Amino acid sequence: MSLYSILDISGAGMNVQQSRLEAAALNLANAQTTAPPGTPAYRPLTVVLHSARGEAGSLPLPVVAGTVPLNATPRLVYDPGHPDADAQGFVSLPGVDPIGSMLDLISISRSYEANLRAFDVTRTLLQKTLDMGNHR
Amino acid sequence: MLEANPIFALLSRALDTAALRQAVHSANIANADVPDFHRLEVSLDPAGEPASAAAADVLPADFDARMDDLDAADDLEGMPHVISTNDSVRLDQEMALMAKDALRYEALLGAFERTTGLLDLAIREGKGV
Repeated sequence: MSLYSILDISGAGMNVQQSRLEAAALNLANAQTTAPPGTPAYRPLTVVLHSARGEAGSLPLPVVAGTVPLNATPRLVYDPGHPDADAQGFVSLPGVDPIGSMLDLISISRSYEANLRAFDVTRTLLQKTLDMGNHR
Repeated sequence: MLEANPIFALLSRALDTAALRQAVHSANIANADVPDFHRLEVSLDPAGEPASAAAADVLPADFDARMDDLDAADDLEGMPHVISTNDSVRLDQEMALMAKDALRYEALLGAFERTTGLLDLAIREGKGV
């Protein structure tokens, strides 16, 4: 396995973290959205990750198997004056867990940084390998 | 001529192993959030078998041939191969190991350069630059 191929592994790692970041950001952005009675409210999304054998080599690469909506129970808030309130005066809000989403964002950020660091270390080693013998 | 020098063969093999370690660290970090992914390791255990078909593929195609050419092969450890452990990936641990192995790789590059420097000096009959 060449050092060039290792860069692809870190790239795949950053790619899946970006997908997770998109889903977490979408969940937070839609946390307060409502829907008229009878129409489905926003359902929080989660990214399903798998390990797959990549072209870069035989080591497993992370891939996004899909982005699926969770079966989270909507939150019912009593707000009879809201345009989307039902006959009983309840408004249905998406079952987004804001604290869980924020923790996800921290975890995603750390994972992305770790992949970026691995990419940087590999790039440095590659550069030093290419520079070998140039100092004489 | 380079192949005739066992030091080059040793350093070359050590660099291959160090590159494989870097690949494994990168794969562990990249797959850290995948459910049921178990941490990979590079094993030099001569009795160990590759945990999957992956191990054979990650070695250079001419790895066996190069090792056959090495007279000192009997004194070396086993062929490096990738094994799967039962542990999950801990990012902090993986980053620390990656930093350590990167230093090792750089040290090997330095050793390689010094060895070629000696060869260069011999070619120039000790006259220097």
